[in-house]
Amino acid sequence: MESIMVVDDDDSIRCLYEQVLTDEGYEVVLAGSGLEAVKIFKKEKPDIVILDIRMPGMDGIELLGKVLDMDRKIPVIINSAYSMYKNNFLTWMADAYIIKSSDLTELKVKIRELLDTRKK
Amino acid sequence: MENILVMILSGGKGERLYPLTRDRAKPAVPFGGIYRIIDFTLSNCVNSGLRKIYLLTQYKSLSLERHIRLGWASIFKPQIKEFIATLPAQQRVTLNWYKGTADAVFQNIYSIQQERPNLILILSGDHIYKMDYRNMIRFHIKKKADITVGTVKVPIDEISRFGIVELNNDGGIVDFKEKPHQNNEQIKKNYTLASMGVYIFNTDVLVKETVEDAKRDSSHDFGKDIIPRMIPRKRVFGYIFDRDYWRDIGTIDAYWDTSMDLISPLPLLNLYEKNWPIFSFKPQLPPAKITLDVASQKSEIVNSIVSPGCIISGGYIKKSILSYNVHIQSNASVEESVLMNNVHIQKGCRVRRAIIDKGITLTEGTSIGYDKKDDKKNYFVSAKGIVVIPKTRVRGEKYV
Repeated sequence: MESIMVVDDDDSIRCLYEQVLTDEGYEVVLAGSGLEAVKIFKKEKPDIVILDIRMPGMDGIELLGKVLDMDRKIPVIINSAYSMYKNNFLTWMADAYIIKSSDLTELKVKIRELLDTRKK
Repeated sequence: MENILVMILSGGKGERLYPLTRDRAKPAVPFGGIYRIIDFTLSNCVNSGLRKIYLLTQYKSLSLERHIRLGWASIFKPQIKEFIATLPAQQRVTLNWYKGTADAVFQNIYSIQQERPNLILILSGDHIYKMDYRNMIRFHIKKKADITVGTVKVPIDEISRFGIVELNNDGGIVDFKEKPHQNNEQIKKNYTLASMGVYIFNTDVLVKETVEDAKRDSSHDFGKDIIPRMIPRKRVFGYIFDRDYWRDIGTIDAYWDTSMDLISPLPLLNLYEKNWPIFSFKPQLPPAKITLDVASQKSEIVNSIVSPGCIISGGYIKKSILSYNVHIQSNASVEESVLMNNVHIQKGCRVRRAIIDKGITLTEGTSIGYDKKDDKKNYFVSAKGIVVIPKTRVRGEKYV
């Protein structure tokens, strides 16, 4: 089963994503902070990472660098409520940047697309 | 002028320039008496009005960093957002050493983000040439290019040493091959265009391309990976550098040849052009002094460069470069050689076709460059037969 790591400091978002993505047939691992995510990433070695940007302590941009350092080829989706970080070159290191929405279709489509590309 | 950031790749190991690179990074190797190799590229930047400069360093960068601090930092004004700074493989984005030229840029996306320039000029820290980058920048803007590669004419029999570029009539690059073998079609021509390792990128294109490259299995090199992949899908142009002097100091022989280019009466590389000064760190030293040797009634220097602090008390010096504080005693002869700072040549020594690194003392009667067998036994000798005596590891150590 393909596994997804969701990193977000918001409990309700983690809960929602876990439910929706489990229903889609993925194994979901959760991290509530950047530091936690680094530990879990090393242990769980997920197939794809979805991360929030604004988090207390280590933010999503710093985490992105650390994740790529552990695995340069891991697909990463930035999932933020803000579009302003799109201009930040550091976010360009991610494979996609998706604005948070109550409709998760775009996110789900992107996850599938990136996982399929990776398989090739 | 556009908001332009310069990134100078200064992290190569310089293995083919060993032993001059035993204790220092290649761009920090002394050159031309009072300069270091990096001074030529940096002077090009300053003379072209480019004053936001990052040097990407990693191997043995201490002497390079010291040189930048002492010789260069003070001519940049941070008050008006000018700077020169070194970026060692600094673990800002990842924890790795730079794996290639493109990876060095990728690992410094943080610094690019801090500056957010429109254009980024990528240069090598180990080339000797005088170039006004503004002409190439204007060309880049006029062509609405995504990337412009600086090219220079090289003789056809040397193509296997360079990245070879083929242009269409509009200046667009149609083919780029890294160190190719000659083919029959090429042999018919007299020269071809080689990449100088000088690139202007639109910043967004550079970031996208290096990020994409970072996620691939590749050698993470601009010449081998990034540019060939960009040719079919981006606006890739080649700018032809119109002055013909450009040298990549890759090997000991290239270092020696380039040094010799400085000293002929009409030098290929002229250090005396007033409108293109070459800046460097200049220590406070007394003028060079040449005295008459009482015994031989002679002290002869021809076609040579003599730097401040030198004392020539007799002897014969021909086609040589003497850096700071070199002492030559009576009856010594030095020909076609490069002597770096604080080299002392005692009475009766004979030196020919040699590079002597900092601080070496040749004791009375030593002969170098006259007996191939003997030289090979005692010193490093290059393919062309240039003898290199590396820096001493012990202060005051003498060669006999």
